[in-house]
Amino acid sequence: MSHMINHDVPDDNEIQIEKKFVPKDLDIDKDVSWAQINKDVLRSLDRPRPVFWVIFFAALALFSFGVYCEKYQYENGLGVADLNNPQVWGLYIATFIFWIGMGHSGTLLSALLHIIHADWRKPIYRYAEAMTTFSLLTAALFVLIHLGRVWQFYYVVAYPNERWVWPNFSSPLVWDATAIGTYLTSSLLFLYTGMVPDLAICRDNATGARKKLYTFMSLGWQGTDRQWATFRVTYMTLACFLMPLAVSVHSIVSTDFAVSQNPGWHITSFPPYFVAGALYSGCAVIITLFILLRYVFRFEAYMTMPILNKLIKMTFAIAMVWNYLNIIEYSTVWYGANEIAKQQLLDKMTGTYAPVFWGMVFCSTVMPFTLLIKFVRTHLPTLMVVSLILNFGMWLERVQIITPTFGHSQYPWTWTSGWWPSWVQFGIVAGSFGWFTMLFMLYCKIFPTISMYEVKEMVHDQSKMLKAKGVA
Amino acid sequence: MSLNNLIKNWTSFRSRRPYLDQYKNADYKWAMVIDLDACTGCNACTTACYAENNLPVVGKERYEKGHAMHWLRIERYWGEGESVPVDMVPDRGAQFLPMMCQQCEAAPCEVVCPVGATHHSADGLNTQVYNRCVGSRYCSANCPYKVRYFNWWQYADSAWPNPLELQLNPDVSVRSKGVMEKCTFCVQRLRESMDHAKTDGRLVKDGEVTTACAQACPTSAITFGNLANPQSQVAKKWKNQQIALEKDEQKKDENMRGYRIFEEFRTYPSVVYLERVRDLEA
Amino acid sequence: MKSHLLALYNNMEEAGLVLDELNATKLPGFSMKDVVIKSPIEHPELSEKLGKRPVYVQLFTLLGVLFGPITGLTLVASAQASFIYQVRGGRPVVPVPPDMVLTYEFFILSGVLMTVIGCFIGWKLPGNRSPLYNTRVSEDKIGILVKAEESTIPYLNEIFKKHHSLEILGEGVK
Repeated sequence: MSHMINHDVPDDNEIQIEKKFVPKDLDIDKDVSWAQINKDVLRSLDRPRPVFWVIFFAALALFSFGVYCEKYQYENGLGVADLNNPQVWGLYIATFIFWIGMGHSGTLLSALLHIIHADWRKPIYRYAEAMTTFSLLTAALFVLIHLGRVWQFYYVVAYPNERWVWPNFSSPLVWDATAIGTYLTSSLLFLYTGMVPDLAICRDNATGARKKLYTFMSLGWQGTDRQWATFRVTYMTLACFLMPLAVSVHSIVSTDFAVSQNPGWHITSFPPYFVAGALYSGCAVIITLFILLRYVFRFEAYMTMPILNKLIKMTFAIAMVWNYLNIIEYSTVWYGANEIAKQQLLDKMTGTYAPVFWGMVFCSTVMPFTLLIKFVRTHLPTLMVVSLILNFGMWLERVQIITPTFGHSQYPWTWTSGWWPSWVQFGIVAGSFGWFTMLFMLYCKIFPTISMYEVKEMVHDQSKMLKAKGVA
Repeated sequence: MSLNNLIKNWTSFRSRRPYLDQYKNADYKWAMVIDLDACTGCNACTTACYAENNLPVVGKERYEKGHAMHWLRIERYWGEGESVPVDMVPDRGAQFLPMMCQQCEAAPCEVVCPVGATHHSADGLNTQVYNRCVGSRYCSANCPYKVRYFNWWQYADSAWPNPLELQLNPDVSVRSKGVMEKCTFCVQRLRESMDHAKTDGRLVKDGEVTTACAQACPTSAITFGNLANPQSQVAKKWKNQQIALEKDEQKKDENMRGYRIFEEFRTYPSVVYLERVRDLEA
Repeated sequence: MKSHLLALYNNMEEAGLVLDELNATKLPGFSMKDVVIKSPIEHPELSEKLGKRPVYVQLFTLLGVLFGPITGLTLVASAQASFIYQVRGGRPVVPVPPDMVLTYEFFILSGVLMTVIGCFIGWKLPGNRSPLYNTRVSEDKIGILVKAEESTIPYLNEIFKKHHSLEILGEGVK
């Protein structure tokens, strides 16, 4: 009997063990040395797995095809895209929103998590920010591609001229241009500022032409206390600017639609709906790239499973926010008094574009629930497929915002069905994916994709914390 | 300088349009009345418009793709409140509605153009500046009437094979690919007659100028004129139908036939349609 | 004639002890203002020992957020009011909501730009290279750089060595 009691009441030693951190809860291995971090990350600039080149050249090929399509469209007019009178925007604007949306999570992840001191952002924020920058560049391309006279694009820019002709500042497209310009500038500076200490590391280890590049870009950073103190203040300030900026940019993109009177667009909840959708698709892409980089650059020690798990939780939460806003959007239309909007909604669900609508429902509403399954969260190939499906669903979402509205707007005489984009449109959309992937892969090869100094900080803080708990 | 301008004209810069008696002291406000009862759907107006405004004939294939450039289109509606089988013609025939740019006083297209290629002129026209247009097509996306037409192709290359280019109206530019265009109320005619009148030191008289469509209409269904002149045909018809330009909801007697399309969107169109009278007993 | 000395340490604890000792010792021609830490990551607990070294970036940010929206709004509104004013869609020529949207963007843009400019000025970069640098500082070592009169250098050298410095760099020091 006494023997049993002894077993039930744990002795001191066992209490000690329970207090201990289970190593799997650590975001990153506590024993990794700082020199090792440098070595591992710098190696990614040197010798990636061969699959890197496969992806790079596939992207290059896709991009070249996109350029060919654009050249064809440039020479012959937008008619080759099979856009027509009610369907004036087609896939171009839908894909534009898709790319803008993708560009939002990089900043969310980096700035928001930096502000709230969520340390797990540190190994993954750099590539997320790079993704932001490149997807913004891709989105900017679509602004140009969809123009009828792309050679006159500079009319949209407010530049002083002798005729005193200015752009129309009331137009949401001008807000777009301003917001995207601001966002691109700010996120580039945010990315660059955060990268300066790492560029100094690269400089100290590089030779030849690369040394010159890194020396120029690192601006002579030496990691002095004054530099660090200034850096800390600057980085936090920039993060505080970028959070509201990211929200404002996609709200402004949503006003392209919400400001107009068209059924299916003229909805008050569009700005938060767009922001949530943007974060959602961005998070899904971050997961995709996480798995990709982890494999291609052998980053298993830094892009760890606990971090991925947190990322997935965040994605799931945002997916639910998006779902909620989606339901809000449709139910307000359904129960509202606007007959045209209601008809348009019905047409969206049952008409020509029903596959697009229900495809979105399947890919973006149903699929995130698979993230609740542990197997999906831990089996990387499956997770990769799921994240790609989520992304495809978000692309469909943008298409089903744009296309059915044109097909079923207020004026019955212009109701059309069965509109389908031409190969030129699909080619340019595919080319944009090539362009993004190509730029991103180049970036990963030239600049460190993992923030070395912040991973060092992370390891340092972790060991300090463990010491405080009496474990290490 | 512009800052001075801003401070000096603050009240006028901050006022919304249209407001009551906005055109009371103005010289011109071009407007139209279309009597659907007189319209036979003969398409003469459309043809006149094509000839006057250098509109390209796009051909069957491109028409089917939705690339037609008909600034003025005749819309055909079957029946009213009665269900008619798809392949049958109802007893009373079709109803026709000539649809062109409504020259809205508060045009949704003007607000959204990023470069300001479309804006409101002092004589109440919704203008389109081809040279300024970059072709974002946002105006068309936001137009509730969908009466803006985009140059999907370089029509000038194919629409007028030699010697057809000699029929082009020299007063109207031939638009290149990638710009938006729409009904202008034949602004080239208006400009010419306003200039003539100005030389003579007077205003344009009623009936002195009219649009190509109104001129061509065999049943005189289209009346065009200066709404700012209370003696003009158009102004009289607007008044008779009890339609006020600056109102989005008209308080009028029951037997009135006049209406403007989509008034509830607060676009304040300049075109009044007179409803077709149908003898439902017969 | 002032001279520089850079010592490298394996970890923060050792570097901290050195700083404590430098703080405690009074040497002629040397003060804590002449000490610079070079480290691979930020070390608030080490920088504390150097005394207060204020950062002025916030002032630039303030300047930016004041300057940006005011100039932005003025430019936009006066551009709208310039030339022949064009009425669009029945809206006022100088409309409030669009101008607010643009002002907000200018607010952030100018704030960000001024912050980054302030940061570069704070870093005294590009161009300012502090003397004596070792690439191991960017890897995993902590460097302590001091500036002192030639005559004081040997004493400092002594202190550095006492705390197991890995390497000491400087003019005339072996």
